[in-house]
Amino acid sequence: MYNKMTRISCVVAVLSTTVLLNATDMTKAYSMPDASKLIEKDLLKPAQKYSMPKGCISTDKDSIARGKYIFHNLNGKKAKATPPKGLAKFVEKKGKDGKMVKKPKQYGNCVACHNIEGAKGAGNIGPDLSKYKATFIDTKTRDHAFVYQKIADPRIDNPNTHMTVNLTTKLFNEKEICDIASYIVSEKK
Amino acid sequence: MRKLLMPFALIATMAYSGEQFAMSDADRAMYAEMLENNPADIYVESGGEIFEEKLGGEEALAKFLGVKVDELPKYIAGFPRYIKKLGNVVGIDQVLQAMQVEQGKKMTKLKSEDMFSMLAYVKSLANDEQFTIDINADEHIKASYDLGKKTFETPRGGRGLSCLSCHSKDIVGMVLRTQPLPDLGKSGSGATWPAYRMTKSSLRTLQRRFQGCMKNALLKVIPIGSKEMVGLEVYVSTLAQENKKAIAIPGLKR
Ligand code: HEC
Ligand code: HEC
Repeated sequence: MYNKMTRISCVVAVLSTTVLLNATDMTKAYSMPDASKLIEKDLLKPAQKYSMPKGCISTDKDSIARGKYIFHNLNGKKAKATPPKGLAKFVEKKGKDGKMVKKPKQYGNCVACHNIEGAKGAGNIGPDLSKYKATFIDTKTRDHAFVYQKIADPRIDNPNTHMTVNLTTKLFNEKEICDIASYIVSEKK
Repeated sequence: MRKLLMPFALIATMAYSGEQFAMSDADRAMYAEMLENNPADIYVESGGEIFEEKLGGEEALAKFLGVKVDELPKYIAGFPRYIKKLGNVVGIDQVLQAMQVEQGKKMTKLKSEDMFSMLAYVKSLANDEQFTIDINADEHIKASYDLGKKTFETPRGGRGLSCLSCHSKDIVGMVLRTQPLPDLGKSGSGATWPAYRMTKSSLRTLQRRFQGCMKNALLKVIPIGSKEMVGLEVYVSTLAQENKKAIAIPGLKR
C-alpha cells in the first residue's frame, strides 16, 4: 500500500514538472531579433543607365578639388584636411525620432581599390587610374560619358563588378559624380 | 599551445613588409608576443567561470542539449544547429540564453561582454575538432544555410556592396586600402572566432565581426542572433569546414 502511494506520487511529481516545463515556451526563451525589414529597405536597386548632365566635366579648380577630396577620403569623420569649397564634412540627416542629426558625410574612398597620382595606401582591386587622361581619354579608348556612368553605376559596363555603386544608391548626387569624373580625367602633376 | 597553430598561418598572410600594408613592424612584434599570450585567454577564463556559476557548467549544458558530457565537443562543433525544443537553428549563445530562462534566470544579452566570453568558453570546448555541420541534416539547417548564403551575396547599403563583393574567390589576396582580402574558408574564420581583435583591444565574436564589415562597407548593420546572422555564421563556418580547419578558440586577429 505504502509502496503504491509513493509510486503514484512519483508519477504525479514527474507529470507536474513536465507541465511546468511546457509552461515556459522554449521557442521564445532566447532573442532572435528581426533583420528582414532592415535588409529589405537596404537592398540595392537594379542597374541604371545615366546620361551625363550638360557641362558635367569641367576644368574648374574647385570641382576638381572636390572630386579629389571625395576620391581620397572615406568620410567626414576620418578625413583630416579641410574640405574644398562646396563640400562639407558633416550633413544633417533625419534621425529615428524625426529630429535632424549631424552625421559625417560619406566620401568615395576610391583609393581603397584604385591607385592614382599622389595616392596613399592605394588598393589594387580596381585598375590603376594614374595618367588616365593621356592613356584613355586622349587615345579615345574611353570618353567622359563612360567615366561618368562607371562611377554612377558600374554594373552597366560590368554586371559582375566589384566596384561600388554611387548614384543609384544616392550616395552622391549628379554634381558630385561630375566632380569626381572631372578629377579623374584632369591633367595631373 | 594548440591554439597557436591557427595564428601562425595568419601571420604568413599578414607578414608583408613595406608601408603599403597595415601592419607595421611594431604591430608585428606585438602580434608575435600576443601569440605567446593571447589576451583573450582572460575572457575565455572568465566566460568559463560565469558559465559554471550561473548556468551549471558542462553538466547542465549537456543535459539541456540531451547529450553526454563527453559528446559535447563534437556536438558543439555542429553549431549553429537546429534545436528542436527551441524551434530554430540557433547559435551557442542563444542556447545559453534558453538555459538561463529554463533555470528561471535573467537572460544575458547576446551583444554583452559576458555573453561573448561565455560563448568563447563553450566553443573552446570543441577546440581541435572539425566542424560537424551537416546542411542536409534537416530542412531547418538547409534553410538557414541558404538564407546565410543569400545574405552573403545580396548587395545593399550606401555603396551597393555585398559580402561577396570583397570576399569572392577571384579577388582574394588583392588589397583593399591596406588590407589584403582574406579567403574566409582558408583563413578558417568560422573556426577562429571568438577572437581577440588587436585593433579593438577586445574579444569579438564571428557575428560581431560580420557587423564590423557591414559598418565599414555602409551596409545596414543587422542584429546579432537574427535568422540572417545565424545563417551567415552557418555559411561562413561551412567554408572553414570545407577547408578542414579545426576549431581553435580564442583566435588572434589584427
Ligand atoms: C571595391 C572596389 C572599388 C571601389 C571602392 C571603387 N572601384 Fe572603380 N573599379 C573597380 C573595379 C574592379 C573596376 C574594373 C571594372 C569593373 O569591374 O567594373 C573599376 C573601374 C573603374 C573605372 C573605369 C576604369 C576604366 O577606364 O576601365 C573608373 C573610372 C573607376 N573605377 C572609378 C572609381 C571611383 C571614382 C570610385 C569611387 C567613387 C571607385 N572607382 C571605387 C573597383 C572599385
Ligand atoms: C568593402 C569590402 C568588404 C565587404 C563589403 C565585406 N568585407 Fe569582410 N573583410 C574585408 C577586409 C578588407 C577584411 C580583412 C580586414 C582585416 O584584416 O582586419 C575582412 C574580414 C572579414 C572577416 C574576418 C576574417 C578573419 O577571420 O580574420 C569576416 C568573418 C568577414 N570579413 C565577413 C564579411 C561578411 C559576412 C560581409 C558581409 C556582411 C563582409 N565581410 C563584407 C572587406 C570586406
